[in-house]
Amino acid sequence: MISTEFEYARPKTLREAVRLLGRHGKSARILAGGTDLIGWLRDDLVKPDILIDIKGIGSLGKLSFRQNMLRIGAGVTITELTESRAVRTHFPLFVEMAGMLACTGIRNRATVVGNICSAVPCCDNGPVLMVYEAVLQVTGQEGDREIPMSEWFKGPRQTALRPGEIVTGVTVPKPAGRHAACFAKLKRYRGEDLAQASVAVLRSDSICRVAFGSVAPTPVRAPNIERILTSRMPPEAALEAAIDAIPKETSPITDLRSSKEYRGRMLGVMLERAVKTVASRLEGSGPAYGVNVLDDYTADAEGK
Amino acid sequence: MKKHEITMKVNGEVRSVIVEPNDVLLDVLREKLGIKSPKIGCERGDCGACTILLNGRTVRSCLVLAIEADGCEIVTVEGLGETLTPLQQAFLDNNAFQCGFCAPGMILTATELLQKNPTPDDDEIKEGISGNLCRCTGYQPIVDAIRTVSRSGKSGGRGKSGRSGRPHE
Amino acid sequence: MNKMHYVGQNEVRIDGLEKITGAARYVDDLEFGPNLLHAEIVASPYAHALITSIDTSEAEKVPGVVKVLTGKDFPYKFGLYMKDRYIFAQDRVRFAGEQVAAVIARSPKIAKQAAQKVKVTYEELTPVLDVDNALKPTAKLIHPELGAYPRVPWFFPKERTNIAHWRKTRKGDAEAAMREADVVLEDVYVVPRYAHCAIEPHVIVGLYDLAGRLTLWSASQSPFTQRNVFAETLASLGLSHKDIRVVTPYIGGGFGGKAGVSMEILGAALATAVRGSPVKVRWTREQEFCNTYQRQGLTAKLKMGVKRDGTIVALEHTLHFDAGAYVEYGANVVNAAGLSATGPYRVPNVKIDSLCIYTNLPPGGPYRGFGYSEFHFGLESHIDRLAEMIGMDPVAFRRHNAIREGDTLPYGAEMNPGNLVEAIDRVAADIGWGKKETPSRPGVSTGKGFSLFWKSPAMPPNAASSAFLKFNEDGSVNLMVSGMEIGQGFLTVMAQIAAEELALPVSKIRVETPDTDRNAYEWQTVGSHVTWGCGNAVRAAAREAREKMFDVVHRAYGFDPADLYLENEHVKSRAKPDFTLAYRDFVISGIQTPHGNFLGGPVLGSGMFMPEFTSATGDPETSQGGHPNVHYTVGAAAASVEVDRATGKVRVLKTSLAVDVGKAINPDLVNGQVVGGMVQGLATVLYEDMKFDERGKLLNPNFTDYKIPTARDIPDVVSPIIIETPQPDGPFGARGVGEHTMIPSAPIIANAVNDAVGVRIKSMPLTAEKIALEIAGTYADPHFTTGGRCKMPTEN
Ligand code: FES
Ligand code: FES
Repeated sequence: MISTEFEYARPKTLREAVRLLGRHGKSARILAGGTDLIGWLRDDLVKPDILIDIKGIGSLGKLSFRQNMLRIGAGVTITELTESRAVRTHFPLFVEMAGMLACTGIRNRATVVGNICSAVPCCDNGPVLMVYEAVLQVTGQEGDREIPMSEWFKGPRQTALRPGEIVTGVTVPKPAGRHAACFAKLKRYRGEDLAQASVAVLRSDSICRVAFGSVAPTPVRAPNIERILTSRMPPEAALEAAIDAIPKETSPITDLRSSKEYRGRMLGVMLERAVKTVASRLEGSGPAYGVNVLDDYTADAEGK
Repeated sequence: MKKHEITMKVNGEVRSVIVEPNDVLLDVLREKLGIKSPKIGCERGDCGACTILLNGRTVRSCLVLAIEADGCEIVTVEGLGETLTPLQQAFLDNNAFQCGFCAPGMILTATELLQKNPTPDDDEIKEGISGNLCRCTGYQPIVDAIRTVSRSGKSGGRGKSGRSGRPHE
Repeated sequence: MNKMHYVGQNEVRIDGLEKITGAARYVDDLEFGPNLLHAEIVASPYAHALITSIDTSEAEKVPGVVKVLTGKDFPYKFGLYMKDRYIFAQDRVRFAGEQVAAVIARSPKIAKQAAQKVKVTYEELTPVLDVDNALKPTAKLIHPELGAYPRVPWFFPKERTNIAHWRKTRKGDAEAAMREADVVLEDVYVVPRYAHCAIEPHVIVGLYDLAGRLTLWSASQSPFTQRNVFAETLASLGLSHKDIRVVTPYIGGGFGGKAGVSMEILGAALATAVRGSPVKVRWTREQEFCNTYQRQGLTAKLKMGVKRDGTIVALEHTLHFDAGAYVEYGANVVNAAGLSATGPYRVPNVKIDSLCIYTNLPPGGPYRGFGYSEFHFGLESHIDRLAEMIGMDPVAFRRHNAIREGDTLPYGAEMNPGNLVEAIDRVAADIGWGKKETPSRPGVSTGKGFSLFWKSPAMPPNAASSAFLKFNEDGSVNLMVSGMEIGQGFLTVMAQIAAEELALPVSKIRVETPDTDRNAYEWQTVGSHVTWGCGNAVRAAAREAREKMFDVVHRAYGFDPADLYLENEHVKSRAKPDFTLAYRDFVISGIQTPHGNFLGGPVLGSGMFMPEFTSATGDPETSQGGHPNVHYTVGAAAASVEVDRATGKVRVLKTSLAVDVGKAINPDLVNGQVVGGMVQGLATVLYEDMKFDERGKLLNPNFTDYKIPTARDIPDVVSPIIIETPQPDGPFGARGVGEHTMIPSAPIIANAVNDAVGVRIKSMPLTAEKIALEIAGTYADPHFTTGGRCKMPTEN
């Protein structure tokens, strides 16, 4: 039950939404899937005057793949994303991540964009979009602009979005050439959980990208680790040095979900398993996407 | 707050109801439409007791505003049919409930699972229902019940260790 | 005994159709019409504080608010075994979340808005947050008036301390025997608090009507106990028990959390303040965590002495229970543990001290296992370690010391029948004891762990059950009992018992949930005793009905009642094989005589049961002399696990549990208890954990951070094994099983993890984090170091 009072608008066009947002400023909240927002309203954590539901805006519900570019509209749910053929074929990391993100009943409603707009340090889409080097499209009364994922997160629950702006979608370029990836999520058990720590690794013959979740105030890319890993290809050869560099790129804390000691230790294990799993996937012998290497680790690399 | 009249197709019947913007769908179904099978368990999306089918997909009705559902189609366990579905029969035959509080949500979640994947193995069944908490049964009889209706009818399956993680182009 | 038709069969649950069609009604599903009011509670943010003022004026001004109430309106104490609680906090609050005031309004939204306008000022006191601090001589007294609280005669509070009850059990001479032992091991084990997490939160609706009748619709395991506590507490209103009615429709899980009276007192009290209107109090999930009963924390010091041949000679077990702010129910948990903390072992010399200690954490209380789950963790870990120290196989060690029928219990009474040795042997075989499983991949280690368990119902000596049943025109039966269907299948089992006695299919018997106006008395549905206690009452009721049927047939036809029997819904006579009379032909309308008149009439049966042999009169210094427990259910369990040495993650491959239930009235339902209880227990040892901050506030009052198992977290196999050594005073030989299946879960995992990776963790839960850090040698929990003090056998 929500006792905070607010009005509700369901604009049909983006222009109308932007106008409403302009009129109400900070006292408006955008409503997409609502899986975070409704809970915050119930707990009186936010007290908006108006909710602007963007689900009525047809264009935002679109998911497309054209010219090697995936575009995820702000209204696209995580389920819709993972059911897309293009995503399953070219962006399997989303599928792997989504399988560990909450549960069907949430994924059917929650949106990819909403997940990164909430911008909690443990948001699972963050590291994945970061390694894909996705770019957000934003619109407002001042016009449109793009924000690369690397500049999106500004702090816990803080983003680069300015007042009056709406995220309309995110574009994700398909990595060039042969590529494979892995998302590892440390959870307190096999069931759904917020990440104690997470890592996304994406690799092709020329690149190796790494991003972490839950081990810094925001999801973070790890440029030093990437440099170390790509300095010697295949990256497995540089694993030890990469693991040694983890403390420089992360700042895990102790909280309810984990101690910083455990987080720190596990980052090494996770990076190792993810990098090795990516290697085996690249060779066509790795585990199917969707396995959590922290629960069921089967990479051939383990035995090597 | 402005009041709004919304119209939804609920278990096959078109129904209109006056709501306030901050009315949660779960509460409206229960208190204004008299549909009691979706239960209040946590009101924050954690337990699945409030699960309903919204336009054919399971959602947590505690995380949906009623006003968002204007124009939508809703199915709850009451609307699954006059007679028991094979899945409900399997729940009955397998003692797949104890206190029964989770059962309506669990049945809807399993219904959607089987629609999307008529032949889930045990791992897929467990993953599919993992958002619906049951404190009584230990889940085993629920998994058993779903398996009997799964067209594969197979048990087993431990970990997705299949060798299909191919590189992507 | 003749072949049975219904008892022992896997009858389909009689509540099944309702529950899978959505027809089943729980309290919150009931309709009370437009006059229903809603209450919102104002809770204390502090764990320990004096209330300096409460200003309700702003809240009262909110349109739609009907009344705002505080402790001043209800200066009454209540409690089940000891009256140490108030309906609302009076001058002080003793835990964070305690109710200070209530707003009653026309809608839940208004109530919530107005509740935020109630201004309470506090003077914060230093909270006492753990048992060690609570026991210090300088500790703040949480209940300065402890000595004056009314209580049951078997509680022994220590005035001017925080010790609300101290159960001492002494047998033989533990100190002397310890000196004789070849090996002695002493160590401390820590068990945190846990939450029941029934998926249905507590809810109660109360109506005090204009004619002075108080009706409560309550999500409760204890309708009659609630009625009694309500009547006692609100005695000043002059309510007689007959004027209070408690109706308990289906409840969405209990696990002890809905036993006794916790938040329900608010429903009863608030109803009296808004006469004529029903008022609903429904807990949110957060309140469910913070302000119902919690499972008490335990710090257990164990010292056990063993002979080189593997015989246990002495046990000293000191249990410090963190019982929380109020112990009106929880003190009996402490009591139960204090009588039985030897576990199911023959221990000739025993010294048990079980202390119920007040702290400023939420009230402790009953939770499936009732003290036994808590102490089995340390005890069974300790047993494994001692076996290792003397070089004996842990299963052989347990078997050697296992309690048997006729053995002397810690308090002097005799052990009831039960085949623990068979349970041990069958579990050992089922789990493949002694065989090391092959790890599924590099980096993981496999291990197995074993544990015995026992438990007795903890009840007052005069806890009673009763039943009545009535026949209908078509020969069907309505059976009215007040045991509660909390998911275990109680209604079905009672129907099976009646069916067996009355030779009537279960489908012809309707058993519904209780209503204290209509149904026969039952103390409460706790302690795994209702199949046994209420089952006996149902059996007696059915037999009485049968006698009445025989009597009327005898009078109408002249048959000797001794020759009559029931079969297939007919009365038959052994003396006259061609005679057969269908129930439907006489159970309401009677039997017509040749004269045209009718004999008989509506057939009813009533039955009662009380364990007349029990007493709570044991000596306070030794517990010797009484017979506090009716019987123990015993069993054994084991786990086979795989531990990832890098992450510390435990995968439970299989658990096996054998329990001697006396007689499984419905084996499938017993299996349901085994699987459900095992999974609930595994969660307590692997990840569940209530976390409080340094001011006593619960940090994880939700399923986001208090993790309970999902379908992905169950063992690959849970294997139930039913053993049936009849309980002489049980219905068809049955004894209880509901709680027991949760008790060994923690030690089997602790022992299996130790077997797998050589890490002995002595504080629950054994999270992946603890295991991984311990393997790496970097864990810094003081309760966590392997070792303890021990005396080893000297070489010779
Ligand atoms: S009540 Fe909606 S998920 Fe729990
Ligand atoms: S049957 Fe009780 S919660 Fe599932």
